[in-house]
Amino acid sequence: MKRDYFHSVVLDDDRCIGCTSCLKVCPTEAIRLRDGKARIIDEKCIDCGECIRICPNHAKSTVTDTLDKIRKFKYTIAIPSLVLYGQFPGNAGINEILTAVKKVGFDEIYEASKGTEIITNVLKNCILTDPNRKRPIISSACPATLRLIQIRFPELLANVVDIETPIEIAARLAKNEAIKKTGLSADEIGVVFISPCTARVTSVKNPLGIEKSYIDVVLSMKAVYGEILRNLNSSGAEIISTSTCESLLWPITGGQGEPLGIENYLAVDGIHEVIKVLEEIEMDRLDGLEFFEGMACVGGCVGGPLTIENTFIAKSRMKALTKGLTKSATSEEEIKAQIGMYQDGLIRLTEQIEPKAIMRLDDDISKSIKKMEMIKEMLKHLPGIDCGVCGSPTCRAFAEDIVKGESKKAICIVKTTENLKNK
Amino acid sequence: MEDIRYMFNIEKDDFVRAGEASSKIKNILGQLGMDSGSVRKIAIATYEAEMNIVIHSYGGQIVLEVAPDFIKVTASDRGPGIADVKLAMQEGYSTASEKVREMGFGAGMGLPNMKRCADRFCVHSSEGEGTIIEMEVDLKAGD
Repeated sequence: MKRDYFHSVVLDDDRCIGCTSCLKVCPTEAIRLRDGKARIIDEKCIDCGECIRICPNHAKSTVTDTLDKIRKFKYTIAIPSLVLYGQFPGNAGINEILTAVKKVGFDEIYEASKGTEIITNVLKNCILTDPNRKRPIISSACPATLRLIQIRFPELLANVVDIETPIEIAARLAKNEAIKKTGLSADEIGVVFISPCTARVTSVKNPLGIEKSYIDVVLSMKAVYGEILRNLNSSGAEIISTSTCESLLWPITGGQGEPLGIENYLAVDGIHEVIKVLEEIEMDRLDGLEFFEGMACVGGCVGGPLTIENTFIAKSRMKALTKGLTKSATSEEEIKAQIGMYQDGLIRLTEQIEPKAIMRLDDDISKSIKKMEMIKEMLKHLPGIDCGVCGSPTCRAFAEDIVKGESKKAICIVKTTENLKNK
Repeated sequence: MEDIRYMFNIEKDDFVRAGEASSKIKNILGQLGMDSGSVRKIAIATYEAEMNIVIHSYGGQIVLEVAPDFIKVTASDRGPGIADVKLAMQEGYSTASEKVREMGFGAGMGLPNMKRCADRFCVHSSEGEGTIIEMEVDLKAGD
């Protein structure tokens, strides 16, 4: 099924000077320079945000919703990503921060920690205990990793756990509770997610594994940061938070595997490292591995491209904030109810995640074999220094682009100069 | 078979580059549009063969040949050869040194694992000569 694909990562042409920084960091080789400007190849982009982070001219940014969009709802609920708690200087406590968020103009704050608790419980008591599940069980939390698996590791899609992300679970619970509480209909209630993550923004618009997201509005953490900061120092914090120690650590690499109480889990962060370890998993080299958590951003969600604070500083703050929190404890009965929600499909990925064979040269194998031969031949004549000046990230990508007919005007400047010298 | 052919040299004891050939082969086959299940099988088998050359041989090469309906990988080395191929095919049989085993290799699953992954598999070897392993994986039609 083909539909128009929305990407959260966009380019500001006026700011782009046509340098090769983003070409080089893109883990799926989804960027080309054409007519001196960076162009994103839609079907290859996984919205990881690496290009946003590296761009020295801040030409890459994200399309998110704007705050005025919340006005069309009669009742609004904000779900701030848990990493927001580590974004503010000084000794702002969780309740102070959440009160400041509420003052931006929301009727209610719902914490993502409700979602993390449920995921941990369902994983521990239902999914990990099922011997028929393919091992390692791969976390579905990071949307950039999920899209990466779709493109580069289709064989591992069967290992991805079919449970929703904390934010989506929180959104479902929040909306259902609010319907009961207020008597309003589902579309009169706006669930607003404050996101540190470009790929999550995309996932709200183009859901992966579910029919439709329960999130109505996504705001970039960067965009609302100022509003929240200005509200921070006003007195009178409401008691809002029920977060536990475990839930606060969940969005930091290792925070998903650790509370599962198993020895054999692996937590990896940074998209390029995630690729390396997924290769190992795909080649069956990690015998006995039970659970794999791959986070595209260094540090985990706390290092998301839409955060303000330095990853490591934010991480240390979040750890400090866990000091006063209680340990997670869910009663047997609640766990049973949570497993029920999973089995009923409320918090489950109910749609098949399809592989995306975008790396292939042609749909016809004999044609792609011919194209591969041409690429091989062309590579013999290219300099192999991967300078990127032609607009493709590597000499191989340049050859591929020509063979696929995607690059008609580009030339290899190194080769041309060499030829001139020899004349 | 003249459709497409790639050759990779594999050096003895080069653990830094070990795995590169199988990784490249996996990428090439993916680009060709081969079905991912077959690609995974041949990649795993090739990795085992590659590691065998690095650990046990004096060096050798891996050749990939592709036809529209099957993939063939031939791993050949310059010796020392396998004295008893039948014994080497047994799961758990290994001649790897303690040092290599500590690194997590040499569990004696290499040859049996290759055989498991391949649709057709054969080993030619004798002591003092090199070893040649030929493996083929059929491609699923209609992908």
